[in-house]
Amino acid sequence: MRIAPSAACCLILLGLVGCSTRPTESAAVPTAASTATASGPVELREGSKVKVALVPGGAHPYFQPWKEAARQSAADFHLGGVVFNETAEWDQAKQNNLLDSLAAQGYNAFGVFGVSPTDINTTFGDLKSKGFAVASLASCPAGDTNEADFCLSTDVEVAAYKAAKAAIDAMGGKGVLVHLTGNNVDANTQRRIKGVDKAVEETSGAVKLLPVVADVDKDLQTAQKAVADLLAARGKEIGGIVSTAYNPAVAAAAGVKKAGLPIKVVAIDDDPEILRAIREGSAYATIAQNPRGQAYVGSWALALLQSQQCTMRQPGVVIDSGSFLVTKENVDGYDTERRKTSEQIKQRFAAELLSCR
Amino acid sequence: MSTRKPLFGLLGLIVVLVVVFGTLSPAFFDERLVLFPLLRDIAIYTVVGLAQMVVLSIGHMNLAVGRMAAFSAMFMGLSYDRLHLPLYAGLCIGLLAGAAIGAFTGWIIARTGVNSFVVTLAMDFALLGLIPVVYTALTANAAFTVKPDGMRELRQYSLGDVCLGNVCGSPAVPQMMLLAVAPMLALGYLYHGTRPGRELLLTGSNPLAAELSGIPTRRRVVTAHLLSGLLAGLAGFMLAVATGSFRATIGEEFLLPSFLGAILGGTAMAGGVVSVIGTFLGTSLTLVIRRGLELVGIGLEYLNVYLGVILLLALSADRFLQRRGVKS
Repeated sequence: MRIAPSAACCLILLGLVGCSTRPTESAAVPTAASTATASGPVELREGSKVKVALVPGGAHPYFQPWKEAARQSAADFHLGGVVFNETAEWDQAKQNNLLDSLAAQGYNAFGVFGVSPTDINTTFGDLKSKGFAVASLASCPAGDTNEADFCLSTDVEVAAYKAAKAAIDAMGGKGVLVHLTGNNVDANTQRRIKGVDKAVEETSGAVKLLPVVADVDKDLQTAQKAVADLLAARGKEIGGIVSTAYNPAVAAAAGVKKAGLPIKVVAIDDDPEILRAIREGSAYATIAQNPRGQAYVGSWALALLQSQQCTMRQPGVVIDSGSFLVTKENVDGYDTERRKTSEQIKQRFAAELLSCR
Repeated sequence: MSTRKPLFGLLGLIVVLVVVFGTLSPAFFDERLVLFPLLRDIAIYTVVGLAQMVVLSIGHMNLAVGRMAAFSAMFMGLSYDRLHLPLYAGLCIGLLAGAAIGAFTGWIIARTGVNSFVVTLAMDFALLGLIPVVYTALTANAAFTVKPDGMRELRQYSLGDVCLGNVCGSPAVPQMMLLAVAPMLALGYLYHGTRPGRELLLTGSNPLAAELSGIPTRRRVVTAHLLSGLLAGLAGFMLAVATGSFRATIGEEFLLPSFLGAILGGTAMAGGVVSVIGTFLGTSLTLVIRRGLELVGIGLEYLNVYLGVILLLALSADRFLQRRGVKS
């Protein structure tokens, strides 16, 4: 009786998955070689067989513009379908499973924000080996290699550098700066820390950087507590706060306003809360990224690749999707500049990055 | 000492759910894109469940199960990155580290008599601080990304790559499943066929009676926690192989599934009752539901709601049928 459940399990497993016979010859991997070049605009000829899946690492306000971009690209490029799926729950294993599930449902081109920058190349390699077009969107893999067809992302180190420079300028080039950021063991956080450090080093000691306050992007409550503690302990000596994560940016803008301190807050992203803080003056500036452009242009390029109309001249190439300093002066008009940048990226794909038939 | 009847109920539930999801979405039976990764996940999380089951067998719990996996994986990453050891040599070093941290935890519990909840929680905090410090000091991106020979094959190869003459195994069953089957067999033998295994269960069902019967209960506490650390390390290795690198965040998601698989499978939280096959089935049940819901296109808003509701309904029906069976 003891072995009965085990035997039943084995039988079910065998029944479910069965055996196979040795293949007589190795399966040919389809290739889409093209030596043609394109110097003008590239029109997607046949997108109806391409189904694009846009898969962020999990739910986050940053990715909400991807939803609209998914609808827009499906309509503009006449794709077979574009889905936005945010159920990966910030777990690389779950994201891998989700991608496989989407592939099983017929999606054949993937725009992915990898949960783990050190693991995502493995995921990209697996997807590529199954014949799918893959783009790394909004974040590139850690290290020097990108196994996806291309990476269209904000250069997070550059964006953090720009944010820190803006904060230092607002502080008058001297004083004490604090850096608030997210998960300390995330490769992108390490890049952001490098970017801020670089900007501070350029002041030759005029600006003192306090120890990085990391791991405060889990939720708004965590960020609010961290900011309250920081302001209570050292609020009077701090001249500027640069936040390279969403929740601490919102918390810092609100905390500084409530405390009535003359601290210059520079945030990241253009969430309505942050834009409101800039308009009100409780935040000095923010570095807006280009999530809509990443998803829209990314879907278009993926469709060209998966339909085999084009190939990448340099597979794995990294393209900066742009970062934009938003202050009180341009808070109402920066989106125009951003859309222009998206169009320029599309043109760059056509002229330099793609080789099309 | 072990529960048997609920296993058939669980098995029946899984079969019913597979049929339902397969009917709603025929892609559920896709060997390459659904069954292979599903079974790979089941293998990993079964080992996670076993890591919790061995301490539940003595009436304890291990809240540091995920962090022990990360601690063990850290030694594996170090072995590959710094010592350039082969895949399985690094695995052995990591398993030793996992066993050591588990045994140390068990030793503290046995010596001090402090509740396992408190000690393993404290160990979790200690490792939460220690592991990122090591990764930050030794790596550029908080992960060991070196890939020793055989790692890619272990992730991608299935029993379809194992052939006897012209007949091969199923391409849907990952070779990694063998890493789960081995500890399942070993633990099955330990609990059913050996004296130390029976002593573990007696320690769990009544520690005082076990002590008075001459069972070295303190040693058994250390043994159970050692095994838990060892199995957590194995699960950490499997997850690292499946995702691609040995990183500080390995095991972050292990805690709840470790209890879920074991408890659903019939292991008692109070100790004294375990089920190895039950842990496998309990783990399979939750993962089948999640994968099925993904395939039928349930969005984030409702995914966990449906997961919870199906689990609740399925298990209530199972227990109801069991009671009816007992009465009749």
